[in-house]
Formats: sequence, C-alpha cells, structure tokens
Amino acid sequence: MHRPPEPDRPYEEVEAEVATVLDEHEVVLFMKGNELMPQCGYSRKALALIKHYRDEVEVVDVLEALPHYRKALKPHSGRETIPQAFVNGKFIGGGDILEQLHERDELADTLTPTP
Amino acid sequence: MDKAEVQSLIEAGIGQAEVSVYSPRHHDDEDHLGAIVVSPIFEDKSLVTRHQLVHDALGEYLTRDIHAIELRTYTPAEYAEEDQIPSVPTDEQP
Repeated sequence: MHRPPEPDRPYEEVEAEVATVLDEHEVVLFMKGNELMPQCGYSRKALALIKHYRDEVEVVDVLEALPHYRKALKPHSGRETIPQAFVNGKFIGGGDILEQLHERDELADTLTPTP
Repeated sequence: MDKAEVQSLIEAGIGQAEVSVYSPRHHDDEDHLGAIVVSPIFEDKSLVTRHQLVHDALGEYLTRDIHAIELRTYTPAEYAEEDQIPSVPTDEQP
C-alpha cells in the first residue's frame, strides 16, 4: 500500500513527546496552530476557553506532524480529532466539550487539577 | 460526506437517537459539521463518554471524510429544558 508522504519526524518521536508532555504539564492543549496563530476555529475557541480561566497552558501545535499526532493521541483520549485538552494527563475534551462545560459553569473546576 | 449519511450513521450507532446534523455558521465548507444527538442512553454519562459513543458510531469516517464534527448530546429530559445557550468568550485577535 503506497503510504502518503510521512512528515519527517518519526512516529515514535511524536508518540514519546505526547507521553512526556502529558506527564510534565498540568494543562495541555493539542491544537492546530499556536497561541499567536491558531489555524482552526475549533482550536482557537478551545484555547480562548482555557485562557478565560487559566493563563498557564502547554500548547502543542500538531500541524508539524498531524497524522502522527492523531495516532499518538488516540490511546490517551479515544479520539483522533483536534483540538484535544488534558488535565493531569486525563482527556477533558475537544472544542465542543470545553464549550459545553463552560456553558454549565463546570470548566473552571475541570481545569483545576486536584493535587 | 453529506448530512443524511452522517445522520444515519449516528442513528445506527446510538440507540433510540434523535439526530439533527447541521453546518456550523462559522464554517462554510461541507466537511465541518455539527450534530445534536438526543437519546436516553446518555443518562448518567459524562460529556466525554457521550461524545465518545458518537465518535465510535462514526468510526473511520471521522477525520477521513468528516474533518470535524461539533457535538451536542442530551437526554430527552435535558433537551426539553434546553434554554438559550450563552455566547462564548472568543476574543478575536485584532
């Protein structure tokens, strides 16, 4: 089967990076683009929602190796869609869930990592 | 992938579901969709679990044919008292 041109970064490297980032940071957002230049509406909305409650968030731009990030994130969240937000390594939602948690005033608690 | 196909996929995967599929305003292209799914099986399930069930129903189509889908999941009771949804603080970068 002809594989599409793979991004230059090997999959194992991306997989390891995802595990490390989730381990080292309380709140992580995997998004398309970065804080200054979000590249997709849902990613921009997810970032805005998190920033509304919290300044400190580790942002990972998945566009460098999108297919690899999708595959690497699936075991952590059960899904391949982007954006994906995590607190203490636990998947808390994509853009739509973050928005609905916000509407129910539950996002502040969700984003506060219990010690 | 058109909306009717997405609707039938979700209905096939989620028991007793009422499904409406739409194109979110801020996305004009066809493969960014939105869906409202109402089903009693969502009772006592977290948002993450509810959305997971819908994602599983869409299987391989998700991200391959459907780039993104914005989901709103309710039990019939929740949907009945669904009032106006407040706006979201998306501060537009100048």
